[in-house]
Amino acid sequence: MQFIDYYQVLGVDKNASQEEIKKAYRKLARKHHPDINPNDKEAEKKFQQINEANEVLSDADKRKKYDQYGADWKHADQFEQAKKQQQNYGQGRQHNPFGQSESYSYSSESNQDYSDFFSNIFGRNQGQSAHVKFKGNDARAELNLNLTDVYKTHPQTFTIGGKNIRITIPAGVKNGQEIKIKGYGGVGVNGGPNGDLMITFNIANNTSFQLKGDDLYIDIPVNLYQAVLGGEITIDTLDGKVKLKIPPETANNTRVRLVGKGFPVYKNEGRFGNLYITYQVELPTKLSQKEKELFQQLADIHHQK
Amino acid sequence: MTTIHKIKIEEYCSYCNIEVAFIKELHENGLIELEVQETQQLIDFDQIPSIEKYSRMYYDLAINIEGIEVIHNLLQKMSDLQQEIQQLKNRY
Repeated sequence: MQFIDYYQVLGVDKNASQEEIKKAYRKLARKHHPDINPNDKEAEKKFQQINEANEVLSDADKRKKYDQYGADWKHADQFEQAKKQQQNYGQGRQHNPFGQSESYSYSSESNQDYSDFFSNIFGRNQGQSAHVKFKGNDARAELNLNLTDVYKTHPQTFTIGGKNIRITIPAGVKNGQEIKIKGYGGVGVNGGPNGDLMITFNIANNTSFQLKGDDLYIDIPVNLYQAVLGGEITIDTLDGKVKLKIPPETANNTRVRLVGKGFPVYKNEGRFGNLYITYQVELPTKLSQKEKELFQQLADIHHQK
Repeated sequence: MTTIHKIKIEEYCSYCNIEVAFIKELHENGLIELEVQETQQLIDFDQIPSIEKYSRMYYDLAINIEGIEVIHNLLQKMSDLQQEIQQLKNRY
């Protein structure tokens, strides 16, 4: 067991008064309390340490044991008990020479009792809020999905804390978005309602599209001849293939908009963003002699204009 | 079977060992919503996580109502900024 210097955790002197301990705890708690640092795991960890230190040092009895036994303070009563047994054992031998092992054995069962006793007294919930919790704690989970997974509303089953939870993931849910599932968090205290389950979606873009809001963006290469003379190309959208007509003399970086071919709008069934396509005109390379001559002819015509 | 989703302020306060005036002050400062039914002021269960959070700040951390209001506003601002950052990250 690693020794924790609770005085150091709270930044107080070993002779600090209860008032000083309370003040130090409150000062640190105001900085690291999870209510003030939501979703900050470091702060939560720090607060747990502060809380534990306060739990021990603000209680005269626990503090005394801690000061006396240091790292083993939680087993102080066991030491005390063992000490008493040691004394009793001597007496037992005098009074009952036949049954000492029965009367004074230090059984594992009594150890078990102490553990329960300690967890009852020094248990996690003891040092927290002075008032009764009404609702169970909220639980948090992360769900990793691909962008194509959230293009359509679909059911998903996953297991949290041994419980199978089936949820419907609405189309259009965004990366980092959080949804709340009521009643799937911690169990309520004294019949209070259960906490909620907060699910954060981590969505990886497994497509060639860029997603901005509900709109999708993509660059599509178009060869010079299609751009100059016009033509037809087929592109893949998340909704299937789409044929596009490229008008003659299409400039590089021309952007076209396909209305309703973007990403679904969250919780707005049937509504979609737009798909924006930017034509990237590609110049031919590795020209043959014939092609070079023809380009030269085009250039001459252009200069004569 | 009807499920009750509201609780009287007095009942909640006696259950949680907190003062009625504290709940009313939270309400007056716009930190929580209360419902009025006839002459009774009720707390909707949806408001309870917020009340618990503010109770912890008030009773455990000794932060007064004005301080809680400032924290509430700053946390709101922080959450909005985090959302904005997330949206920007999603763009690129």
